[in-house]
Amino acid sequence: MIDRTLFRSAGFRFGAIYALLLAISATALALFLWWATAGLLDRQTEAAINADAQDLSERWAEGGLASLIVTIEGRLAQNIDDDAIYFLADRSMRRVAGNLERWPSHVTTPGTLYELQVMRAGMRSLANVQRFDLPGGFHLLIGRDVQAMAQLRRLLTDALLWAIVVVVLMATVGALVVRNLFRRTLANISATATAIAAGDFARRVKLTGRGDEFDQIAEVINDMLERIGRLMDGVRQVSNAIAHDLRTPITRARTRLEDAALHADTPEALRAAIERATTDLDGIVAVFQALLRISEIEAGSRRSSFTRIDIAPLLAQVEELYGPLAEERGISLVARTAAEVPAYGDKALIQQAVANLLDNAVKFSLPGGTVRLNASVAGRVEVAVSDQGPGIPASERVKATDRFYRGETARSTPGSGLGLSLVAAVAHLHGGELRLEDNAPGLRAVLVLPIPEEAEARPAALQPKHDFI
Amino acid sequence: MHPARVILLAGLALAPGAWFTTTRRPVAAQQARDSGPIEITTDTPEYCLYLRDRVHDLVHLAASPPPKEVTDLSTEGQRMCDQGQTRGGIMRLRRALILMIHNSGTTQR
Repeated sequence: MIDRTLFRSAGFRFGAIYALLLAISATALALFLWWATAGLLDRQTEAAINADAQDLSERWAEGGLASLIVTIEGRLAQNIDDDAIYFLADRSMRRVAGNLERWPSHVTTPGTLYELQVMRAGMRSLANVQRFDLPGGFHLLIGRDVQAMAQLRRLLTDALLWAIVVVVLMATVGALVVRNLFRRTLANISATATAIAAGDFARRVKLTGRGDEFDQIAEVINDMLERIGRLMDGVRQVSNAIAHDLRTPITRARTRLEDAALHADTPEALRAAIERATTDLDGIVAVFQALLRISEIEAGSRRSSFTRIDIAPLLAQVEELYGPLAEERGISLVARTAAEVPAYGDKALIQQAVANLLDNAVKFSLPGGTVRLNASVAGRVEVAVSDQGPGIPASERVKATDRFYRGETARSTPGSGLGLSLVAAVAHLHGGELRLEDNAPGLRAVLVLPIPEEAEARPAALQPKHDFI
Repeated sequence: MHPARVILLAGLALAPGAWFTTTRRPVAAQQARDSGPIEITTDTPEYCLYLRDRVHDLVHLAASPPPKEVTDLSTEGQRMCDQGQTRGGIMRLRRALILMIHNSGTTQR
């Protein structure tokens, strides 16, 4: 009993398709060979008979019956190939000229080719003949001996039949090879998927090294697995970071409330303890809000609100906002922006990103330092915020945009480690990037955005939505 | 395009060619079995004699003696016909006849 799953197998289908295509190709080739050999000979015979008929009809028209008889006898006398057949008959079908013993009774319709068995010097032979009716009740039969062609046709038929047997064998063997090849290739991918499903995340699809389509698929799958691995690491890192960074304020709030419950003697002392705990919890809420905002930005839903904007006024507002704070800390805030900075995006998000950069710059600058805000348009929009603080070592700049990342130099400074993550998310959403450079001394953070024309032409599908965690 | 559709289209494209090649035989009707093969009268010893006479007539009518090749072919053809090799003899006599016609400038169609 044939296993029904065999017909549902893709390997079987590929093998069958291969066999079928091979059979169709071989059939096409056989048909062409037949058409170009046996068919050509048939067509040549028919053409020769028609040309002969045309010529003889002209003889008839020029000289009548006598001329036609002389022409036929002359042609037979000079027929070196010994293949011509003529029969000129009167209205009673009696022979007037030609080389046939009698008129073949089955040749009845003019203009149609008939097969005729003839006897040549005691040997059977085959001819193709055609009938033409002449004025005055005369009938003309013209033909050619095709015995040699018939033998060639038989040889060709035998050869093609043997070729069919060979093709069927080749198609069967080829189909089995294709099926096994397909199964072996899929087995490699399937084994990898099974291992990963069982928890072996380090397993990868093996490459054959040939660089073919299967290798390309394997590379794509391996890239996908690498990316999934990185995302899982990121999720794990974020989970750990959330647990670690939020445990301290939550524990602090709990301790304060517990302490107040046990030791607060007056309503004022109790209220003060509750207010401090509330402040701690507000900080936690703010962290969650920042996390949710980054997730929302990375999801790309804000792209629908993108429009052409001029971010020069936004930068002026942010500068105005942070100017007093910088002045209060003895820091000089210097802004130099182009009169018009066109961009394509979400006004509020860009403003928040620049505010985060300025907030960091002011926060990490020492009194007497200078924070610069520059904005320029030259093929792309660049908003740069530079400070003279401790900066970020080159080795840590890649991680600086990870969520909850806090550099060694930032441990003593208040913050959640989400500011640069949000800026990077905004940059990616807009098709740009966040570049962190050494300001010697300090940090130079550059928010790079595409110009409006380029941003508008950028397909939404190419927008990175979850490039990092 | 789905592979099955490709194969289907290829098969449909081949079908007319296959039909044309295999069915378009140049013969409309087969000869009746009871009628038997018909004798060709230009492969007989009589036709051999007829051709010999035609060659001789042309040789006698010619203003100049025939080329040696004509004489040789005619003699050889006649000898073969006499020995029963009718078709070979006829072929040589035909060649001799053609050579004579071309040699004498006669146009016989």
